[in-house]
Amino acid sequence: MIKVGFIVNPYAGMGGAVGLKGTDGRIKEAIARGAVRESPAKAIRFLSGLTRKDLLFFTAGGEMGEDELKSAKISYTCLYHPHNPQSDQNTSIYTTAADTIEACKKFLQNNCDIIIFCGGDGTARDVYSCTGAKTLILGIPTGVKIYSGVFATSPESAAKLLSQWNGYSYTDGEVMDVDEEEYRKGNLNTRLFGYAKIPSSSIPCQSCKQISCGDDRRATEEIASFITEIMRDDTLYLLGAGSTTGAIAERLGISHTLLGVDAIYQGRVVGSDLNERQILSLLDHFGKVKIIISPIGAQGFILGRGNQQISHHVLERTGIDALIVVATEAKLKNTKSLYIDTGNPAMNEACGDTIQVICGYRMAIRARLNKEIILSECGPGG
Amino acid sequence: MNTKIILDENEIPKKWYNIQADLKTPLDPPMHPQTKKPVGPADLEPIFPKELIRQEMCQDRYIDIPEEVRDIYTLWRPSPLFRAHRLEKILKTPAKIYYKYEGVSPPGSHKPNTAIAQAYYNMKEGIERIATETGAGQWGSSLAFATQIFGMECKVYMVRGSYDQKPYRKMMMQTWGATCVPSPSPDTNSGRAILAKDPDTPGSLGIAISEAVEDAATHDNTNYSLGSVLNHVCLHQTIIGQEAQKQLDMVDETADIVIASAGGGSNLAGLCFPFVKDKIDGKNPDVEIIGVEPAACPSMTRGMYAYDFGDVAGLTPLLKMFTLGHDFIPPSIHAGGLRYHGMAPLVSRLHADQLIDSTSVYQNEVFDAAVMFARAEGIIPAPESAHAIRVAIDKALECKKTGEAKTILFNNSGHGHFDLSSYEGYFAGSLVDYEYPAELIAESLKKLPAIS
Repeated sequence: MIKVGFIVNPYAGMGGAVGLKGTDGRIKEAIARGAVRESPAKAIRFLSGLTRKDLLFFTAGGEMGEDELKSAKISYTCLYHPHNPQSDQNTSIYTTAADTIEACKKFLQNNCDIIIFCGGDGTARDVYSCTGAKTLILGIPTGVKIYSGVFATSPESAAKLLSQWNGYSYTDGEVMDVDEEEYRKGNLNTRLFGYAKIPSSSIPCQSCKQISCGDDRRATEEIASFITEIMRDDTLYLLGAGSTTGAIAERLGISHTLLGVDAIYQGRVVGSDLNERQILSLLDHFGKVKIIISPIGAQGFILGRGNQQISHHVLERTGIDALIVVATEAKLKNTKSLYIDTGNPAMNEACGDTIQVICGYRMAIRARLNKEIILSECGPGG
Repeated sequence: MNTKIILDENEIPKKWYNIQADLKTPLDPPMHPQTKKPVGPADLEPIFPKELIRQEMCQDRYIDIPEEVRDIYTLWRPSPLFRAHRLEKILKTPAKIYYKYEGVSPPGSHKPNTAIAQAYYNMKEGIERIATETGAGQWGSSLAFATQIFGMECKVYMVRGSYDQKPYRKMMMQTWGATCVPSPSPDTNSGRAILAKDPDTPGSLGIAISEAVEDAATHDNTNYSLGSVLNHVCLHQTIIGQEAQKQLDMVDETADIVIASAGGGSNLAGLCFPFVKDKIDGKNPDVEIIGVEPAACPSMTRGMYAYDFGDVAGLTPLLKMFTLGHDFIPPSIHAGGLRYHGMAPLVSRLHADQLIDSTSVYQNEVFDAAVMFARAEGIIPAPESAHAIRVAIDKALECKKTGEAKTILFNNSGHGHFDLSSYEGYFAGSLVDYEYPAELIAESLKKLPAIS
């Protein structure tokens, strides 16, 4: 049996339709503006789409999962009851992020194999703050902001993924921290909060005959193998955030800052978790520089979000040609195009319309490149 | 104006054209994998029949096609030459587009042109069993077809990715009496070694070649057969280009541009070598000859001209060719027949001598062209063949811009009836545009064996 912790943020997504761009701290206002709950219906769509019978559900009381499991006629064990499980639009007491976190703690205490949550980036951050990279998570996108790479594309695709999951295959997904107040003003300030483990299906695409490139870990190892093969002793390498770049460091036998930028020269770390100023200082001492980075988040930000240390000031010194973008095919699968926002429009233009992404051993994909981030069009990924 | 230009059966060429006689620069000899010295006929005799070894090294301009082979060729040859009137109309181009269609053969591609010849010579020398490899299955099914005609056994090592996802090619081989196993397989030392290292590998043509060569070397009365790359394979395929020249003559046309897709190089050689002869002889000196490769595996376009092994395990002789490195496993593009790290030495030599040009194209633009062609001309092409179609269309569109009425000829080397799931992927928008990381290529080729 696969033990599933299932939790619903009943208020996720309510702010979107009423122009609040998120519900963090604004639930009352959203309700006052006439917002309706979207999470419960999407949660039920997910539950109704499950085709396997070997799932053992644990959940939180009332609208945090219990109600939806009841509606879908799925048996469950309720491990946590929020203080006001019957909260509704007529009361002034609502479930909070603290309830999400407490429920997740109970799931972990009961050795859940995976936590499925309905919500947005805020919910992802709350769940991840409990699980870290220890337990797999998967988001059903019901929130306004979906910038994290831990979401399925729809409730149905989440159901399909869980139904086909072998119980152990996983890949990494970024959890993004979005400043909601800035977001409401139209500014997208994101911070890479962490890397969660999300389930991956190892079933090859039968319908389209495409040969499976193997699971994500295998592809990550291939990328690491290739990149370490081409590294030269006369070049300084700036290694960006992420688990894909982390695999390169691991292959070199050196430490790596998961959420930051490190500098490597002749196989040794010469700078850890560098900020922009420190990077610029290093560039004074090295003539040849390459920047190895991986797209971040559901929207595939190469530059400009989550790795702002690699600024246009840095790129003006190294040149755009110094970029080596790495990502597995699985990671690119749901990202129709990648985004670059160097902060310098002329430099953005110089990047062209496509970019080469190393996706395996001596293997690359030509990916489309966007330079404008349109907030309202950022949809769910995963 | 006729749409089909058809030759009579008695006009099937009686000789293959051997371009070795006309090379400006002679081929560098193949080298022994251990001694790194030039291989002689004796080195090849454990796995090839004497006549094919002779043809491999022969400098005669023309080599007779045995009457028994010509007789079997009549099952589908001469293949038709089509004028693509409807495609021209859709493109609104002044160019005249002709294509040779090899999909009329029983296995549905150009491959039996050499499979029949190879099986015949093996049979004549008493060989009872042939081992070979296959990528997408076109070669494996062609050799299965050929060996059953001559009452021989056939063992096909099929690249596992294709084996799993192309069940109908497997069934064709079974129908024609061959045994087909996924490669890497537990049947050979080289297969077992790769499986031990990487049990989930999708395999590659280079791995499958290692297995088939080992099979032939370790089984009594078994020879090896290769569907591309080697000189004698290119030789047998020249029947395509010779027929095409006769057919163009019938409509008073001279080709300005000749295009064929290129994986191992035999399809390109087959259509183009007779035209290269015209270029060398000065009969048609300006004819532009183009090999089209996948961007994912562009050996001529991006590779290095150097000695390299023909297989992953390093069992084959070292060949001087354009290569991406024998340990390069190309990504899983739908044109499985073009997933080969090297290029035929003869094609490579001509490319190095600038007699053959090359270009590479992405998977999605190939399928754009395939669908356009199918909607215009009816025939659903194999993804491999569609590489040539892509460039033919691009050239026709260039003519539209310049107003030139050039004559474009390409080889539609096979039908895509067993590739419809690839089309499904294209329509679903799920095809990935793989490419070879060219800027990093020099670093990735460090492992080529050193030949002084």
